Amino acid sequence: MRVSGMIAAVAASIAMAGVSIAGVAVAAEPIKIGLSGPFTGGSSSMGVSMRDGVKLAVTEINKSGGVLGRQLVLVERDDEAKNEVGVQIAQELINKEGVVATLGYINTGVALASQRFYQEAEIPVINNVATGTVISKQFLPPDNKSNYIFRTSANDAIQSVMIADEAVKRQGFKKPAILADSTNYGQLGRADLEKALAALNVKPVATEKFNIGDTDMTAQLLRAKEAGADVILTYAIGPELAQIANGMAKLGWKVPMIGSWTLSMASFIDTAGPNGDGALMPQTFIQLPDTPKRKAFIEAYQAAYKIDRMPSPVSAAQGYDSVFLLAAAITQAGSTDGRKIREALENLNTKVEGVVTIYDRPFSATDHEAITGNIPVFGLVKGGRVVAAHPEDIAGDKAVRVKPKN
Amino acid sequence: MNILSQLIVSGIAVGMIYGVIAFSYQLTFATSKTLNFGQGEALMLGALVGLTTVNFLIGQALGTPLAYLLMLPVVFAFGLAQGALVEYLGVRPAVKANSEAGWIMATIALGIIFRNLAENIWGRDALRFPSPLPEASLNILGVRIQPMEIAIVVGALVIMLAVEVFNRRSIFGKAVVATANDRDAAGLMGIDTRRVITFSYALSSMTAAFAGVLIAPVTLTGATMGAVLGLKAFAVAIIGGLSSGMGVIVGGLILGITETLTGYYISTGYKDVPGLVLLLLVLSLKPSGLFGRATIKKV
Repeated sequence: MRVSGMIAAVAASIAMAGVSIAGVAVAAEPIKIGLSGPFTGGSSSMGVSMRDGVKLAVTEINKSGGVLGRQLVLVERDDEAKNEVGVQIAQELINKEGVVATLGYINTGVALASQRFYQEAEIPVINNVATGTVISKQFLPPDNKSNYIFRTSANDAIQSVMIADEAVKRQGFKKPAILADSTNYGQLGRADLEKALAALNVKPVATEKFNIGDTDMTAQLLRAKEAGADVILTYAIGPELAQIANGMAKLGWKVPMIGSWTLSMASFIDTAGPNGDGALMPQTFIQLPDTPKRKAFIEAYQAAYKIDRMPSPVSAAQGYDSVFLLAAAITQAGSTDGRKIREALENLNTKVEGVVTIYDRPFSATDHEAITGNIPVFGLVKGGRVVAAHPEDIAGDKAVRVKPKN
Repeated sequence: MNILSQLIVSGIAVGMIYGVIAFSYQLTFATSKTLNFGQGEALMLGALVGLTTVNFLIGQALGTPLAYLLMLPVVFAFGLAQGALVEYLGVRPAVKANSEAGWIMATIALGIIFRNLAENIWGRDALRFPSPLPEASLNILGVRIQPMEIAIVVGALVIMLAVEVFNRRSIFGKAVVATANDRDAAGLMGIDTRRVITFSYALSSMTAAFAGVLIAPVTLTGATMGAVLGLKAFAVAIIGGLSSGMGVIVGGLILGITETLTGYYISTGYKDVPGLVLLLLVLSLKPSGLFGRATIKKV
């Protein structure tokens, strides 16, 4: 036993020495990129999909030689959707791991609490899922010298306008009821929705609230029903959205549900089952192989993680794209210095072909939002999957919609 | 009228759940004047153990209703064991040391430990519990109700009745009642009151675990499902009176129905307020609860 243990130890040390010698000889030190998101808990389907999309992109880049001749290495941390954990992770990634940039954040609260440390350390953050409107506007110049926070997801201001337009303009509903949860996400979204509806001269007939974990939506739904609502607009997350759909079925009342992108969450689709069919939500990406790039991405994802339905296609696609944007910026900067990467992101002179869109100068010094209102389309829950609600919107040359030049 | 009856029916279903959990608080309070503040976690563990069992049985090619029925004895046994463990670890040392508040901290701490344990075993995601009854709602005189909601009300009444009958008829149950009435006298009569208290904790957690598998099919199952329910049921136990089995049912119904009525007639944002106002009113006007007997503490 002891002899074999010693042999193993010697063998291990030789192997390690071999690796480190090879590492020095072949390539320079790898580039460390931070990754923060909830990989457990209620929003983990988004966090895990985002992580898997990011890993897929990193593997692809490393296979073709890495960036600046160096390999990319991810430092993954589970922020559990908790603000305080996110803050700890931010400090660890900056001070201990020395990351050159961080990707991630699913939850607006975690992003807002954590990214100030990156701003102070002058290390760029690309938010690839969180949608709170203020996220990219926390450190705007001229109050700050420059803003280190970027985003590749469709923010709530974009989504709420899309929801209002879809309900009122396209589908002709006149009496919307808003159902939103009592969290920051739900209530900020509700405010955005009310603003978007007011711009169309529509006043919601009912505005109802519920708590996370509420099991009975009878009162909320009856109020909406008695107010004569012809459509329900939602700002909440999966489990409670499912309670709304199931509650409507219980009351024998069926009006369409249109809401924020969380209606595409697996926890909504699976828990609501057939009651969730027909729900509409803005999506930057639908699991639909309509371009060669998207086809390759979906197939690679399915092969790598051995699944058919992606748990959250939007998160996976936005995560995947965020890596290529960062890689392009590091290449252009020719350095891993945070300030130079930020400058490169703001002045990207190469077009980056992602799966969501083709990024042609996605950011500028004053605009850190890669996604504009014309890019997302409506997804529709059908038979346990999200499909395109209006196939004509993405037909032919409309498959790839790009940010307009300003 | 139709709306009012719909609201009341939904309120009753919610209220009965509060009532059963409050009833389980009352069980241990009667014998030992202590409570398990981790009762919400007992409910959650019962639901999760039930979920694993049901999924295993469905995997054995059993139908969901049969799997659900076969799962119940497992959950009962688990609840009994979990309750006895809480008493042994959390309550007995504190009572022995004559600590006034030690058991409060101990049961809260155990509750947190159980929640973390559940997060490690079952993960932090909310899981779907297969429903043993059809999910399409019935239309009874214009009121829509899910079959599972009826099962909740019936199941809650049955378990409370069963525990009461057991306490009144069986010799062991009589020992429980005797201990509840006067612990010292019961001890002098040769009743092992310490074992009776352990047993009442076991019974209490069993009731909570059963409540967990009752509501799981209409909600979702997860490590945090018990927190809010445990708290609301505590309010119900205070409103109804901790010494009255009848009181907690009425208290539960009052809270459940007030919540849905307030949500509809006032605002869904204020749904939880009247329950708390009621709690304060009862505490200031009749501290022993609506149905509680005022006890005179002889010093």
